[in-house]
Amino acid sequence: MQLNRFTRAAALAAYFGASLLGWIVPPALADETCNSPYLSNLIKGQEDYVYVWTLGVPGMGDGSDKLVTLDANPKSKTFGKVVAQVSVGGRGEAHHAGFTDDRRFLWAGGLDDSKIYVFDIHSDPAKPRLVNTIADFEKRSGLVGPHTFYALPGRMLIGALSNSKDGGGATGMALYNNKGEFIQKYEMPAASAMKGADGYGYDLAVNPARNVILSSSFTGKKNYMTPLGTLIKDQGAMKQFGNTMVVWNLKAMQPEQVLNVPGAPLEIRWSLNEGDDWAITATALTSKLWLVKKDGKGQWQARDVATIGDPAKTPLPVDISMRADGKGLWVNTFMDGTTRYFDISNPEAPRQTYSKKTGAQVNMISQSWDGKRVYVSSSLLANWDKAGKDNEQFVKLFAWDGKALNEQWKVDFTQLKLGRPHHMKFGAQTGQRTAWTADPARVAGR
Amino acid sequence: MRGTALLALALYGGAGAAQELAVSALAWVPPAPGSYRLERILHAPDGNVLDSDGRLHRLSEFTTGKITLFSFIYTYCSDPRGCPLAYATLHSLKQTVERTPALHGKIRFVSMSFDPEYDTPVAMRSYGGPEARATGPLEWRFLTTRNGRELAPLLDGFGQDVSVAAPQPAGRRIPVLSHMLKVYLIDPGGTVREIYSTSWLHPAVLLNDIQTLLREQARAPVQARRR
Repeated sequence: MQLNRFTRAAALAAYFGASLLGWIVPPALADETCNSPYLSNLIKGQEDYVYVWTLGVPGMGDGSDKLVTLDANPKSKTFGKVVAQVSVGGRGEAHHAGFTDDRRFLWAGGLDDSKIYVFDIHSDPAKPRLVNTIADFEKRSGLVGPHTFYALPGRMLIGALSNSKDGGGATGMALYNNKGEFIQKYEMPAASAMKGADGYGYDLAVNPARNVILSSSFTGKKNYMTPLGTLIKDQGAMKQFGNTMVVWNLKAMQPEQVLNVPGAPLEIRWSLNEGDDWAITATALTSKLWLVKKDGKGQWQARDVATIGDPAKTPLPVDISMRADGKGLWVNTFMDGTTRYFDISNPEAPRQTYSKKTGAQVNMISQSWDGKRVYVSSSLLANWDKAGKDNEQFVKLFAWDGKALNEQWKVDFTQLKLGRPHHMKFGAQTGQRTAWTADPARVAGR
Repeated sequence: MRGTALLALALYGGAGAAQELAVSALAWVPPAPGSYRLERILHAPDGNVLDSDGRLHRLSEFTTGKITLFSFIYTYCSDPRGCPLAYATLHSLKQTVERTPALHGKIRFVSMSFDPEYDTPVAMRSYGGPEARATGPLEWRFLTTRNGRELAPLLDGFGQDVSVAAPQPAGRRIPVLSHMLKVYLIDPGGTVREIYSTSWLHPAVLLNDIQTLLREQARAPVQARRR
């Protein structure tokens, strides 16, 4: 059949009405607001599931790390309940996770054993399946502690915390393709390579429009596997924390500039507001918010723009979540179990406008795209969590009306013998997307 | 809104009209050719494909021997940040290649359909317009497959996702496909060396990457002799 393109266009116009050109694949931002900008199939409405990458606890259940799926849809009969759990059959300090760019798989890492688990979350989003275990991360890269899983087109860039030589903080990034094959390693710049550099690593965040990766810095395996009470008494060990961020040329994968950001800058969030070109991070040890932005000469600069609680009391900011419009920022501080909201309409001068004690200890915080729902988890690291009655282990959902956080439900991970919940990512039911390979006939809807 | 209007031309006019498209400015300066490394990401998959005359080939005939820019498209794509953007970029690059004798005969573009039922070889030839018949300094192929079963492993091999974005009303047969735009840079050995999404799909970036691969090729025999 000879296709007439104008006939086809007319048919399309009739089909879609006046909005023919209005149908657009959603811009590559994020669903909860801290994913890679290359992530497709975003959830901007109601999430159906929250995937919780959970540390195993000896003697609790099977004791293994596991991916726990919570039902997050308020219309569901199992809203706020555990609907699935996938044990990985070992305990390796489960920590962070990230989607592949096509959002078909969730990669999750262990900071202790350096294993990476790949879960299929598209075949049945309610029941993730473990489909691959990448055990060559340390061997191939020489890096230890895969932390940040950052999707690039067809690839996963993994930021590590440590190295296999001495377990210190000198580390780097490893690049894998989406099939789980190692491609390349990139070392964080050391002091010998770039002035002011310290070689440490933690989070990664990409601004594609500026061809920039920002990396932050934490500490090595010797420190993060040491009980916190012991660590803070060791002055030598406490000096082994990162004090830098690095600006990378994304295309060339080469470090270009080192920013002095003392006190272990952790999570990095670029503003998702169209036209903004700045990022924010929080320093764990000095309890400050830092703004990374270009100066008048076009050079990236970092400067502290606000304090978080009383730095003298080391509230330990451990996670931040920026609103999709770049106007507000949630900050969780672990030690005082507090969730704080900062108005960052002027990112040069953030103002705390709200706080609530959300647990005896709180760690990760993830908000929905519309900003109306905020999820909080409790665990930091197996050896850094509090003891006794303060060792609460939960995921809580709060509703946010712009004035107050109102708890909707709490899943008690201790009572359910699940472990220590850490990183949370959102999922949606099948139907929002259909994989070609799952059913090729579906592509044409026939 | 001239840009939108020109994109609309590409949508309705297929590849043949895309030379009228404008490409937006890049907000960053691409690194100089040869100053960086293009990683070996994955080997391009192989399988049966149909050219725009309906002849059966192996895809590897079109992903080896030259530097190839490969992308999946569908001829009725209505997303201005999708297939029309790919065409605008490739057409701009094509003009540069045609003006640069050193690149003649070394570059190939491949546009392959997501939808073998609608995008028959005839449809792809119509979509390609003059490009589908051109025998100039740059080869541009418009390919499809016999059916979804032959397409699926190619999509899977490239890691290209696609889905039905909207349900089909009764009696309507025009699907709306959702896909993340990806253009693959493939070296003459058939290895994918870069994957471009919307943010990097710019003629200047593509050209620098092509020149980086050409420099790598030029160095390779020397290195082989040294070994």
